[in-house]
Amino acid sequence: MTFPDKTPRGWILLLMLLFLNACDIQQAQLHQQQFLLFGTLVDISLWSDDKQKTENAIAQITTDLEKMHNEWHAWHDSPLTRLNKALAAGQPGTVPPSMIPLLQKSIALSNASDGLFNPAIGRLINLWGFQQDDAPSNTPPDAARIQDLTTAQPKMQDLVLAHDQLTSRNPNVQLDFGAIAKGYAVDLAIEKLRALGIHNAIINAGGNLRAIGKHGDRPWRIGIRNPRGPGVLASIEARGDESMLTSGDYERFFEYQGKRYHHIIDPRTGYPARGFTSVTVIYPDAATADAASTALFVAGPQHWRDIAKKMGLQYIMIVDDKGHVTMTPAMAERVRFELNPAPNFSIVALP
Amino acid sequence: MTRADRVVVILAVALLPFLYMTYWGPSQQGDALRVMVNGKETMTVSLHADKHITVHGSLGDSVIDVDQGKARFISSPCRGKQCVHTGWLGQGGEFAACLPNRVSIAVIAEEQRYDSIVF
Repeated sequence: MTFPDKTPRGWILLLMLLFLNACDIQQAQLHQQQFLLFGTLVDISLWSDDKQKTENAIAQITTDLEKMHNEWHAWHDSPLTRLNKALAAGQPGTVPPSMIPLLQKSIALSNASDGLFNPAIGRLINLWGFQQDDAPSNTPPDAARIQDLTTAQPKMQDLVLAHDQLTSRNPNVQLDFGAIAKGYAVDLAIEKLRALGIHNAIINAGGNLRAIGKHGDRPWRIGIRNPRGPGVLASIEARGDESMLTSGDYERFFEYQGKRYHHIIDPRTGYPARGFTSVTVIYPDAATADAASTALFVAGPQHWRDIAKKMGLQYIMIVDDKGHVTMTPAMAERVRFELNPAPNFSIVALP
Repeated sequence: MTRADRVVVILAVALLPFLYMTYWGPSQQGDALRVMVNGKETMTVSLHADKHITVHGSLGDSVIDVDQGKARFISSPCRGKQCVHTGWLGQGGEFAACLPNRVSIAVIAEEQRYDSIVF
């Protein structure tokens, strides 16, 4: 047969060649699944050519996340609530093995953030109604009670860990890992994926995201939610292994007399932190990014730059309560706005 | 130019608009909506046929509105109504969830604009 062959056989061969690519079933592809886990929506994306391996990995990760959720739960009966009971009674409490590195990391990050990331304020979070499965009530708590809990100054430095026994010098310390646990869980899940031979993945637990590798031959593309209104504010391409976390006042909140009361409580005042609507941080590990986004949110317009420097952060994007966007120079290089028109923004260097 | 050459040229030119839309288009509008209850996929519906979908969750019925390629929660039996506040979803990768009712929706597109969204 010469080519081009004018017989029907020649045309069929040409068509077959054109469609050959579509028949390649061994190609790597995207496997994406969403679960309701850890009290939130967990979105897992894996790029892999091995369906069996992928399904096995997803099953293992979901089991792990469920286990962590149950062990670190701050208001359902759990090893953490039992530990908190002991601390409140002035007794030593037992820290389960899975919680020891989480606790140590939390103490270190609380120090690094000048106490603005403070997992010891469980009582305040409970008082505000953010330690329950339902939406919080629609009225702020009594000012005198807020004052009492703030004056008591519960902090991570009050804790002493000896082996697996934890004691507190301050009976007002009640641990709530809400501002770090999901990030830390994502770090462990990524570690597990690597051990299972998966090197291209995203795990996103309720907006606590870590990406490794790529989506085939292009980087993973991450959208950052618009804090006011629908859609995506900006997108960023992940570079290999890194975490992107946003803390926002829209995640859990109630409104009272036209004012928004959200779940990010300033340990210094006892009230929801004011000034920002969302803070996005990129950092290698998700636990640090999680705690850092909370610390910067609490630090507010006056102090966020100092805390960012102290915590060794480089990539930060902040949306304030007027919708203005502020970015560090390193972040500005990577952000692509997706809103039309793009928001007003400024680029601010760290000290 | 042989007849086969002409076919190749015509095919290449015909493919151009498709390639442009796929790789340089302004956005990847979603094709379908995946509805999940309790972490399990219950249905996938086209975004191009307008409809209201009532989904039975663990608290009661969530109602999802599909309208001209977009979708949103219009009601849900939860207290916070975060799902309703999320508003319209239209691009591949966007999603919303009513966690108390354990109902979530996600937009699926041939090529997603975002692989995942930080919220």
